[in-house]
Amino acid sequence: MAVVSISREPTVAELELALMSTPDGVSPVPSLDAPQNSSAEKLDVRALFEEQALPFMDQLYAAGMRMTRNPADAADLVQETYVKAFAAFAQFTQGTNLKAWLYRILTNTFINTYRKKQRDPYQGTIDELEDWQMGGATSATLSTTSRSAEAEAIDHLPDSAVKDALQKVPEDFRLAVYLADVEGFSYQEIADIMKTPVGTVMSRLHRGRRLLRELLGDYARERGIAVPEPTGAGRTTSKGKGK
Amino acid sequence: MTDCGCDKAKAELEEYLHNELARDDARDIREHMEGCADCSSEFHVNVVMTETVKRACKEAAPEDLRLQVLTRLRDLQSTHEKA
Repeated sequence: MAVVSISREPTVAELELALMSTPDGVSPVPSLDAPQNSSAEKLDVRALFEEQALPFMDQLYAAGMRMTRNPADAADLVQETYVKAFAAFAQFTQGTNLKAWLYRILTNTFINTYRKKQRDPYQGTIDELEDWQMGGATSATLSTTSRSAEAEAIDHLPDSAVKDALQKVPEDFRLAVYLADVEGFSYQEIADIMKTPVGTVMSRLHRGRRLLRELLGDYARERGIAVPEPTGAGRTTSKGKGK
Repeated sequence: MTDCGCDKAKAELEEYLHNELARDDARDIREHMEGCADCSSEFHVNVVMTETVKRACKEAAPEDLRLQVLTRLRDLQSTHEKA
C-alpha cells in the first residue's frame, strides 16, 4: 500500500501519520478497496508500542548519557533502540518486563556500536583484576563518626562531580552500578541485560561501588570537605551530625 | 534474638541494600544493625551513595528526540505497509 487508507472518520493518530508519511509528495487519499483490517491492526501495534515504550525515554536517555558520555550519541543510541525494539516488538511477550527488555536492546546496541568506537583498554581483563590491583580501600577501619562525615560529604556533592566520578569507573562496573542503583534492576535482570552470570554481576557491582565511593571521597576532599582517608585512624570528634 | 554478627552483616550488606536477600537473611541483617552502630553507619554510607547517584543521573530526553523517534516509528510502519 503506497497510501494510508482511511475509509472512516480518521483518528488524530491517523491524521498525524498521514501528515508525516508522504515521502513521494503524494497526498494520502481515502480509498475504498483498502485492506483496512491489517492497516488498522498495524496502527494498533504502533499505538500500543508508543503507549508502552515511549514513557521510558527519559530513563533510556539518561542511561545512554552515562554510556556514551555525550548528548548526541545518547540521542542516536536511544533512537536506534526504539527502532530495533519496534521492529522486534512482536517477539516481546506482553506482561513481561518491558523496561528490562528495552534496556537489553539499549545495552546491546551500545556494546555493538559504540564500544567498538571507544575501545576501552580495560575491556575483557578488568573482571580478572584482583582487588589489590584495583587499589580500592575497604572502610573496615573507619569509625562510625567518620562514616557519618563521609555520608554527609557524599550527600552534598554536586551532580556534576558524581557524574564525573561515575565516568571514571570502568564501563562494565559502571553499567552494573547504574542498572542496580539508578534503575533498581534485580541482579538476575542485570545478568540478562549484560549477558553475564549473576556472580559476575555481583562482583562488578561490588567493585564498581567501592571504586565510586573512593572517587566520591576524593572529590569531596579536593573541595576541602573533610572526609577521612579510609586508612587513617580517624580522629574521633564528638560533633557527629545527629539527626 | 540471635545476632548474626558483623562478618555476615558486612558480607551481605550490598545484597541487603539491593533487596536481594531472602527474607530471613534480610531480617538477620536488619536486626544486627539495630544493635551495631558500626554496621549501621556503614549501611548508611551505602544508602546515601545510592541516593546520590540516583539523583545525579536524572536526565530528561530532549524534545526533538521524542519527535524524531515518533517520526521514525511512523515511517517504519508505512514502509512495512508498502512492502
